[in-house]
Amino acid sequence: MTTTDKPAQESTLGSPSPDEPGAQTLTLSVGPQHSGSGHMRLIVELDGDIIINAEPDPGYVHRGIEKIIELRNIIRSIPVIERPSIIDASNLNHAWVKAIEELQGVEPPARGQYLRCLLNEMNRIMSHLYWLSIYGVFLGHTTMFMWPLGDRELFIDLAESLTGARITYSYLVPGGVRRDLPQGFAEEAIKRTEYFEKRLDEYENIFFKNPLFTSRAKGVGVLSRQRAIELGATGPTLRGSGVDADLRKDEPYAAYSELDFKVHTRPDGDSYSRVMVHVDEMRESSQLIRQILEKMPSGPVRRKAPIVVPRGEAYGRVESARGECSFYMIGEGGDKPYRARYITGSYRNMAAISAVLQGVRLADMPTSWWSIDYWPVEADR
Amino acid sequence: MSAQKPAQSDDPIELLADSMNVWVGKLSDIVHKVIDTEPIRNVINWARMYSLWPVNITTACCSAEFGAASGARHDLERFGVLPYGSLRQSDLIVIEGTITKKMAKRLRMIYDQMAIPRYVIAMGDCAISGGLFHDSYSIVNGAHEFLPVDVFVPGCPPRPEALEHGIIMLQEKIRNSKVYPQS
Repeated sequence: MTTTDKPAQESTLGSPSPDEPGAQTLTLSVGPQHSGSGHMRLIVELDGDIIINAEPDPGYVHRGIEKIIELRNIIRSIPVIERPSIIDASNLNHAWVKAIEELQGVEPPARGQYLRCLLNEMNRIMSHLYWLSIYGVFLGHTTMFMWPLGDRELFIDLAESLTGARITYSYLVPGGVRRDLPQGFAEEAIKRTEYFEKRLDEYENIFFKNPLFTSRAKGVGVLSRQRAIELGATGPTLRGSGVDADLRKDEPYAAYSELDFKVHTRPDGDSYSRVMVHVDEMRESSQLIRQILEKMPSGPVRRKAPIVVPRGEAYGRVESARGECSFYMIGEGGDKPYRARYITGSYRNMAAISAVLQGVRLADMPTSWWSIDYWPVEADR
Repeated sequence: MSAQKPAQSDDPIELLADSMNVWVGKLSDIVHKVIDTEPIRNVINWARMYSLWPVNITTACCSAEFGAASGARHDLERFGVLPYGSLRQSDLIVIEGTITKKMAKRLRMIYDQMAIPRYVIAMGDCAISGGLFHDSYSIVNGAHEFLPVDVFVPGCPPRPEALEHGIIMLQEKIRNSKVYPQS
């Protein structure tokens, strides 16, 4: 870990520890260039090897997206709003079109809704796999870096055949989706999801039962159920603390009310629980993809929607891979929103970083921090 | 040993030395000249080309495609590109996307701390000209404004294949470069 920044305080020696007379704590600045991934800085206060306080310093990727979408029309804004979480583009896109459709009063056709869910679930798997591979980097586990990234390409190929792009789709538009399924998509998707589930069983044996992982994840970085709710955590972080909250179930949108799936929670709230929630969700999404393809009705995929944001206010929220992603939109009747407030899962989970890192050893900091599934680009927007 | 003749100069000592086919000058200059001749230069450049270690700095969302390129299927390590944590041992910065004003200072700081030779690849439209966010209040429109960029890889985000092509272009550049750069 290289400190490329000046420490937060004037001296690296901070305030004296209250326990022992004469003892002092050490303030360490980690990032934005550090040996993992992530464009953020953590200011960590250490007592010996134990973290007593960790402050995130975000804003390295703040690109002013809320301002930019006031300057573009709603179709041109779609690529901009999906850039914050490029590995989870479809879910963010969904929140945007949901808020607009609520204002316009447009309901997409049923097949369009199913296709949205299809891409959302594929994106959830891709995002979780990418996250898992970076977790491998933090653990120093090269196989854990290579395998999930290799399996992620299975779904990237599928998404590419559906939308024409590897990761940035701009597939969801107000009124539906841009195009229908290509030929032979369903057979290929079923083959790939079945293969992927077998791979997850292999992961179970080689990664999640591996002492290299369990000894650094079990009981480390505990976020209690009560604290997770207080801090407003969301997504897998909240479910890893035992709270059964998933917008797909609680407030069903698109075709989720017609689909059969479980919300996975783990009671312990440690790094291990959060990782396993991700793994269970991947399994669930994989079966959801097959279910969607089976239940998908025929018909048009897109309904004509005007390029206009009618006067009024709307709130569109969806369950993205990293938790609740929402748009609060105020329309004035033009082709641009007057104001759009953009809140993402990582932004809300940022509050949990300090709580998780308290009392953790410095060596366990990267893995505990990354277990929150914090994607700085998404949090800074 | 002297493959190329130096340019004619007015210095009488150099003229004399040139006619006698000997070198006159500082020892370091002579060492530089010898090393920069064909066989030795080729060996050094060959070593540099295939051990481009990019430093672990991510600026924005192109990191997803950089990750995909380093992972299975695209495996950048077959080009000798191994993302590395310590910037003193790294010789490449891949600028992965948008550079905010806050990050630009840190990028320059990281570049200054790296040992020569060091190379810069600007990946993605944002690192070239601001891209999608060109009219934002908080970004720098292009890496070339504060860093000497060797290769630009366009795309939003560039496919892993495009990044690989950029790395091959950088390797070609290193193959034809001098051992001691002017900087």
